[in-house]
Amino acid sequence: MQIYINGTGCISPQETAQGGPLLATPREYEQVRLATVDPDYKQWIDVKQIRRMSRVVKMGVGAANLSLEAAGITAPDAIITGTAYGCLDDTGVFLTKMVNQQEEMLTPTAFIQSTHNTVAGQIALLLGCNGYNNTFVHRGFSFENALLDAIMILKEGSAQHILAGGVDEITNHSHQLLSRFGLYKKTPVKTMELLNSPSRGTIAGEGAAFFTLGITKQPGAVAELSGVSTLYKPLWEGEVIGHIMKFLEDNNCTPADIDLIVTGRNGDIDQDEIYEEVADALFPEHAEASFKHLCGEYPTAASFGVWMANAIIAQQEVPEAAAFFGKAPEKIKKVLIYNHHQGTHHSLVLLTAC
Amino acid sequence: MADLKAQIIEQLNLQEVAPDSIGNDQPLFTKEGLGLDSIDALELIVLLQQHYNIRIANPEEGPKIFHSVRTMAVYITENQTVKA
Repeated sequence: MQIYINGTGCISPQETAQGGPLLATPREYEQVRLATVDPDYKQWIDVKQIRRMSRVVKMGVGAANLSLEAAGITAPDAIITGTAYGCLDDTGVFLTKMVNQQEEMLTPTAFIQSTHNTVAGQIALLLGCNGYNNTFVHRGFSFENALLDAIMILKEGSAQHILAGGVDEITNHSHQLLSRFGLYKKTPVKTMELLNSPSRGTIAGEGAAFFTLGITKQPGAVAELSGVSTLYKPLWEGEVIGHIMKFLEDNNCTPADIDLIVTGRNGDIDQDEIYEEVADALFPEHAEASFKHLCGEYPTAASFGVWMANAIIAQQEVPEAAAFFGKAPEKIKKVLIYNHHQGTHHSLVLLTAC
Repeated sequence: MADLKAQIIEQLNLQEVAPDSIGNDQPLFTKEGLGLDSIDALELIVLLQQHYNIRIANPEEGPKIFHSVRTMAVYITENQTVKA
């Protein structure tokens, strides 16, 4: 059974919500924290409802709507999201009020909006969708597990169209905390030079990318979601390479069948090493594109990578801003997205042109 | 009442609503009025506690108290007078 990506939507630090050619005018930053370029959310959300929504909820609702519009679907049968951090901003508001007000006179809005499944819930409320609604909160696998759940439900036959996506935000507070772990560069780097910066740390990012998946091909579909796989805490690079080989075998292909690899390089010399080793072992001559210099690093950043890969298949061209190595063949049929988050959460997504 | 309107706007995060645009007798919870909902009602109860130290003892009085800005202001005045 084929699973088609019938529509996509993305809100990111690039102008991805506007439509048009992929990364035609890439935004270049020189900072260690990238924020989303927000569209006018009032086109999808009533003013009375938008006042209770934090940025991450608006991002999710916006990307979900873009995806459904692209697919020509008004009511999906299920909504599945993946988020590692959830609605951090409202969680912070609620906890701060709890402390400051000594657990007295707490307002309901921040509490209601602070749960991880608020995004999926708000999308369902706006669409009037009473179907299956689930949110995966599995750190660097949150988005991938949302996709896996969607694939299983579609294969079971209990849904025709599923809206699945990944969303995460960064707040001042979370950025401060994560900075203390040494995750980010000490000094700002130009984003277009990030992947060649010879230092530790990366740049923080955020965003939302949604996909309308279905078992029937809609007119806007350009790719099938052929496979998704995850690998947790591999002991050494050989385990990753073996896992990729097995994944390709399971999907009836070999490295030679892959036209383009899209990697989650993030400019951290320690974390990018594995991409070099995988490319040397399996894809030495393959064209490679990257995406984290465009969207920043966050646990569900792979959703941006999948969104970009789908757009590359649609355009049959790798935009200059995303190209990392080599030149893609004229016909881009199979794209392998290989990403890892902090060296522990490795994932593979295979897209095939349809 | 101008202060109360500003507090309501802040508490409920009523974007694009100016204090002057809320009529003193405009219903708060009908579509023809401000169109507030049950979550807003809870927020308004918290507002009375936070700003005026007033607790609503009888929930059945809620619809009457929160009918409009004027009814809220009257309730605040009466209860603050009692407290004083």
